[in-house]
Amino acid sequence: MKYAKGLLDEIGLGADRLEMHFISSAMGREFAELTTEMTERIRQLGPSPLRESGNDK
Amino acid sequence: MIVGEQKPLEEIKELVGDYERILVLGCGTCVTVCFAGGEKEVGILASSLRMATRMDDQGKVFDESTIQRQCEWEFLDAIEEQIRNHDLVLSMACGIGVQAIVERFPEARVAPAVNTTFLGLPEEHGLWTERCAACGECILYRTAGICPIARCAKSLLNGPCGGSQDGKCEIDPEVPCAWQLIYDRLKAQGRLDQMLDIVPAKDWSTSRDGGPRRLVRDDLRLD
Repeated sequence: MKYAKGLLDEIGLGADRLEMHFISSAMGREFAELTTEMTERIRQLGPSPLRESGNDK
Repeated sequence: MIVGEQKPLEEIKELVGDYERILVLGCGTCVTVCFAGGEKEVGILASSLRMATRMDDQGKVFDESTIQRQCEWEFLDAIEEQIRNHDLVLSMACGIGVQAIVERFPEARVAPAVNTTFLGLPEEHGLWTERCAACGECILYRTAGICPIARCAKSLLNGPCGGSQDGKCEIDPEVPCAWQLIYDRLKAQGRLDQMLDIVPAKDWSTSRDGGPRRLVRDDLRLD
């Protein structure tokens, strides 16, 4: 994860767009909290710079 | 093995700046083993460059290929067509591979994506350390298999020097004193008396001091 985040920063996409958590099927509340937090974070960061450049493939 | 390390992406972006069709070329030998320029690293670098240059609105193409060894004509000849079809070969091999490409295909433009660092070994996962300076005259039989040329900061033949403290070298507390290592190994092997042998001045003409080196084996030559 540290390596992948470093790559995203180097590329210019930003490391904050990536997270990884380990959650079991019995941890519904944690799952909801983390996905909400990630959704809010992505909204704040805005669209992917790749999408803005006209090609998000 | 030859140990290398990928250059920073920013530097590589500058190297490919003037070219449109770029072949990211990996090497399947030393740089694969040290995770610097093998097939996996080719994929990661090519993807990173595609994204990074696309964000800069540069319409570049990055193709990927990896051959077993970039330092041998036979393997290079197999990708001649690919090399000719690209503006630039971004080599992820050591410096030998980079030079071999342009020697075989003089019209090819080649740039290195890897800094060749040293001849060494993976001491532990994620840590490589230098072991051989390729000096051309091996004296490991004198030093219990520990090379003072590569591992002593002063390449002393009769050590240790006064900078050896608590088994470490004065240049860096994390660097072991090669001569302390030699002493400990000789002692463990019960041949500490070898430390008393004075090694005469080394003939450095077999090393870089003699200029670029070549090795001729008449028994292997075809003509």
